[in-house]
Amino acid sequence: MASTSESEGQKEGDDPEDANKSNPSQDGTFECNICLDTAHDAVVSMCGHLFCWPCLHQWLETRPNRQTCPVCKAGISKEKVVPLYGRGNAKQEDPRTKVPPRPQGQRTEPENNGPFQSFNWGGDGGFQMSFGIGAFPFGLFASTVNLGGPRLPGAQPGTPQFEEEQFLSKLFLWVAILFIFWLLVA
Amino acid sequence: MDADKKRLQKELMTLQLNPPVGIKVNGDHGSSLTTWYVEMEGATGTLYEGEKFQLLFKFTNRYPFDSPEVVFTGTNIPVHPHVYSNGHICLSILTEDWSPALSVESVCLSIVSMLSSCKEKKRPPDNTFYVKTCSKNPKKTRWWYHDDKV
Repeated sequence: MASTSESEGQKEGDDPEDANKSNPSQDGTFECNICLDTAHDAVVSMCGHLFCWPCLHQWLETRPNRQTCPVCKAGISKEKVVPLYGRGNAKQEDPRTKVPPRPQGQRTEPENNGPFQSFNWGGDGGFQMSFGIGAFPFGLFASTVNLGGPRLPGAQPGTPQFEEEQFLSKLFLWVAILFIFWLLVA
Repeated sequence: MDADKKRLQKELMTLQLNPPVGIKVNGDHGSSLTTWYVEMEGATGTLYEGEKFQLLFKFTNRYPFDSPEVVFTGTNIPVHPHVYSNGHICLSILTEDWSPALSVESVCLSIVSMLSSCKEKKRPPDNTFYVKTCSKNPKKTRWWYHDDKV
């Protein structure tokens, strides 16, 4: 029952000189932290640690509800690792034919910083504004001005959906009229 | 060669070529590599200076995703608040805090470090009961890791 959580001695990969001493022909910098071999189908975590994707995937599967980096215990997930694509790997078979596939690289569009680009009337060119009196849900006096903005296309006339929409709009009109009447009388 | 055997072979080579101070792997492991005996010495300047211990490592074919089973074995079991007299060690990295980036070497160093920080040589308070009731495999014990000072 008594115990300790010792901080682990992180040895491999931390000290390139050490790795060279034990393995003179190889540079340990690009070894997978799990299989200790040169990483293939390599991915790197946000914390900068290198793994073979199959090795890392197996570890993530081992503890699906507590996914941490094997080296530094930072949070890690499939979405948050970056695949590394070296040059001259044309001879290699497609990693996607192996299970599991490597995660996709993420590519963001360059930002466009032209003037007025971010100032956009109503999102799609229309001009929309609304004003009103009264607190929700009594916002019946609110009026809406909606110029030129494309509205959601309504149902085609003649279809059952069109009939339904007509009925609903009439119903709400009458409810509104009755409510205004009640407010005037009361 | 399977991935686990390949990695064990690599670790063995590294440990034999470039062992850390006070740690020595016994040469003969057969072809299976699933059982290792590691000799270790208490670090100088600690309560265990000059003592020699033997650790037994057992690996499953899920290594390194599965932690190795590590116990003290042989005639000299260190007297330490986290080491039971049957050789079982209460150390979180051997179960729930295991990571595949750890290795035989780092486990050995952790154990040396655990011994080194000990202030008073004594057995765990529940030693008699635990040794009588525990499973042979320490990984089957539900350890309760509460004391990180020693």
